[in-house]
Amino acid sequence: MTAYSAEERLLVLLAAAADLDERARSALSRACARGLARGELEKICAAVIQTDGNGVYKGDRADFSAAADAVLGRMERLNVFAVTLASAGYPEALRAIPDPPLALFCAGRRELLAARKFCIVGSRILPAWAEKTGRHIAAELAGRFAVVTGIAEGGDRAAIDGALPTGSLISVLPCGLDVDYPASHASLKREIAKKGLIVSEYPLGTRAQKFSFHARNRILAGLSEGVLVLAAGEWSGTLITANAALSYGRDVFALPHNAGAAQGAGCNSLIKQGAYLCTDAGDILQMYGMDRAQTSAPELTAEEEKLLAALRLRGEEHAAALAAAAGIPVWEAQAALAALELKGLVARAGGNKYTALRL
Amino acid sequence: MIAKIVCYALQGLEGVPVEVETDVSRGIPSYEMVGLPDAAVKESRERVRSAIKNSGFAFPMGKITINFAPADRKKEGASFDLAVAVSLLKAGEQLVGADTQGTVFLGELALDGAVRPVTGLLPVLISARAHGYTRFVVPAGNAKEAAFLRGAQIYPVSTLAETVRFLLGAEAITPLAPETFVPHMHAGQGADLKFVKGQPVARRALEVAVAGGHNLLLMGPPGTGKTMLARCIPTVMPDLTFAEALEITKIHSVAGTLGEEGIISERPFRTPHHTATTVAMCGGGNRVVHPGEISLAHGGVLFLDELPEYKRSTLEALRQPLEDGRITVSRAGGSVTYPARFMLCASMNPCPCGNYGSADKVCTCSPAEIRRYRRKISGPLLDRIDLQVEVDNVPYDALASDAEQESSERVRERVNMARAIQSVRFEGLPQRTNAEMGERELTAFCRLSGEGERILRDAFERMKLSARARSRILKVSRTIADLAASEEILPAHVYEAVSYRLGDSLE
Repeated sequence: MTAYSAEERLLVLLAAAADLDERARSALSRACARGLARGELEKICAAVIQTDGNGVYKGDRADFSAAADAVLGRMERLNVFAVTLASAGYPEALRAIPDPPLALFCAGRRELLAARKFCIVGSRILPAWAEKTGRHIAAELAGRFAVVTGIAEGGDRAAIDGALPTGSLISVLPCGLDVDYPASHASLKREIAKKGLIVSEYPLGTRAQKFSFHARNRILAGLSEGVLVLAAGEWSGTLITANAALSYGRDVFALPHNAGAAQGAGCNSLIKQGAYLCTDAGDILQMYGMDRAQTSAPELTAEEEKLLAALRLRGEEHAAALAAAAGIPVWEAQAALAALELKGLVARAGGNKYTALRL
Repeated sequence: MIAKIVCYALQGLEGVPVEVETDVSRGIPSYEMVGLPDAAVKESRERVRSAIKNSGFAFPMGKITINFAPADRKKEGASFDLAVAVSLLKAGEQLVGADTQGTVFLGELALDGAVRPVTGLLPVLISARAHGYTRFVVPAGNAKEAAFLRGAQIYPVSTLAETVRFLLGAEAITPLAPETFVPHMHAGQGADLKFVKGQPVARRALEVAVAGGHNLLLMGPPGTGKTMLARCIPTVMPDLTFAEALEITKIHSVAGTLGEEGIISERPFRTPHHTATTVAMCGGGNRVVHPGEISLAHGGVLFLDELPEYKRSTLEALRQPLEDGRITVSRAGGSVTYPARFMLCASMNPCPCGNYGSADKVCTCSPAEIRRYRRKISGPLLDRIDLQVEVDNVPYDALASDAEQESSERVRERVNMARAIQSVRFEGLPQRTNAEMGERELTAFCRLSGEGERILRDAFERMKLSARARSRILKVSRTIADLAASEEILPAHVYEAVSYRLGDSLE
């Protein structure tokens, strides 16, 4: 049983008050960030939590205590713990943003909150090469950082797939931890809660709303030292995270995309505005003064070497065209490309096309 | 007087001898049929009575009892009519001196005495021949089909009167001359690989699939020629042997889908629509168990266009026949086993809108929609499809070019070569192709070098393959090695086989 101080109990209670409107919530969190005494918190509690729902003022401490017990008891049953602005374990980076959440409801490995954190995001539909690259980067960062991301398809999924095997993963949800959103990711969510950490500012049972994604994105940026954007369209929601990171003074990285690719327009415009251009994990690690782990280059046959060189030259190419470039029959190229794929050097891009991955 | 005439009933693809015993005795005139005849057999009473009368013979007077022996087995269909009529005439002493001993009579009668063709004649003849019968009287309408039976005198008749004259020696009928089997050279309804533009990857996959008898999935945007590719499959398959043709013809004869030719001389290419029911696909029926599409595709190709549109239960029912090469359909009336060793070729779009992975079109499907669409095909079914390959969106230049691609003829030469290697390999074994190998054959014929083993392990772990997918990859590697005339399975062969496991990497 997690022990909570009186202030923490009050903040959990405040955070769990479902009828707390957004403005009250953010005013409160701003006030909390300045540091509030317990007496003041109780007054606020009394003002905003009107019991029975009919506006009757009840400033009774015993009531708060019973209500807090009920909320905490439910959390305990679901193995959920809370970290509040009054807790020592509240991530310092998040505390520094203008409107930090009152409390973070978490399930999984608590120690990840104290680790260095780096965020990887991307739109839900992204090119195959960007997804594979994202997965590689997440896997490589996972040893040094806790990778922070959401739980959607596409970019989030790439980060999850890369980082989950090591467990160095924090998924921030736009809904209560017990709500399955998206429904198809229910089992994935449980797996992350087991190996890594799932986090939400919303109390148990809260459904995802349109605005909650926006609010969630500020947590993604707020938790992390930097944000990598794998892919984002011109008006992608992913850019909200990047902009939040910029306004919090965090580093923003972006994968460069083809000039004409709509799926990467957001990334390219971030780079134009001064975001760091990132092509592999080394670009990020270098920024934080870390060295890349030395990995021995995989051994390649002469054919594989030729195909890879041809592919690097063109970026993305059809297997038949690569075969022609290397002067071998298509099926031999197929075999060599499968070998390169297994070695993690190329990815399928659909329609028998391949793209080269990291150098 | 009692007369006994032999005819045959059909049980699945096997003929079962049935003796028609007729007794005409004195008494109040009656006309009874016993021995578990079904409705169609019972109705033959009226057909036979009219046919005898209208052929100018006298219908015997007295108490008539007709027994179908053995009495405990249900008799179905109308092919007993001729035997019943002959035995009635014999019992009525109108066929004195006729030699009916050892002759099998098959045929349906019309009211005017004409003999109508019956379905399932060839399997019956083959069974009867195996049981030692060599003299047959069959409907002239079935003559083409019957002519493929060797070592028997088969007399085609077109009326009951002709039959009687023949039996009495008043008219000679020349027995059918044995037909020689010529495999159809230009199968596939005019399809040929030389008309397929581009598609180097899919063409190769098709060649490998046919060479080893593997199943094939073509995935690609709408209108890229998936169906056209599939139609080319029979054109590169090896010619039918006579034994194969007979086996296939038996099935089609039972189903009543035999054409003018009397024998199936080209490999079947079946394209059941996606609204097909499980019964239509696998076989079934109320009384008679009809062969389904998978049996009609025996020895050829079962093409399922737009695979995810088929009912899930129908697709799942394919799993067992895909493994065993036959299907046993059980009904209240008994169970029947039909052969169903076919090459499955399926096609599908990569996503509901069809543009996923396309270079120039935008896919409008959400990831969840794509997953839902793909999930319609279960993992176990996908596992059984050895080669999964993407079909390209062919650029206009390639479509418009007149340059002819390699023809089916050329591809078939290589396929035949690979099949020849396989027939040497499976000498004395029931298997004919690599795809049919079991675990024992896999260990015997698909030894991998250390490196090959390492590649397979790597792929197994990375692509999260099932054990079945692993052995399927091994079999495909074997076929690729055969195409290269290589005794040993080289690493490149394993890699190429791995590259055809698309479904696993898409997940």
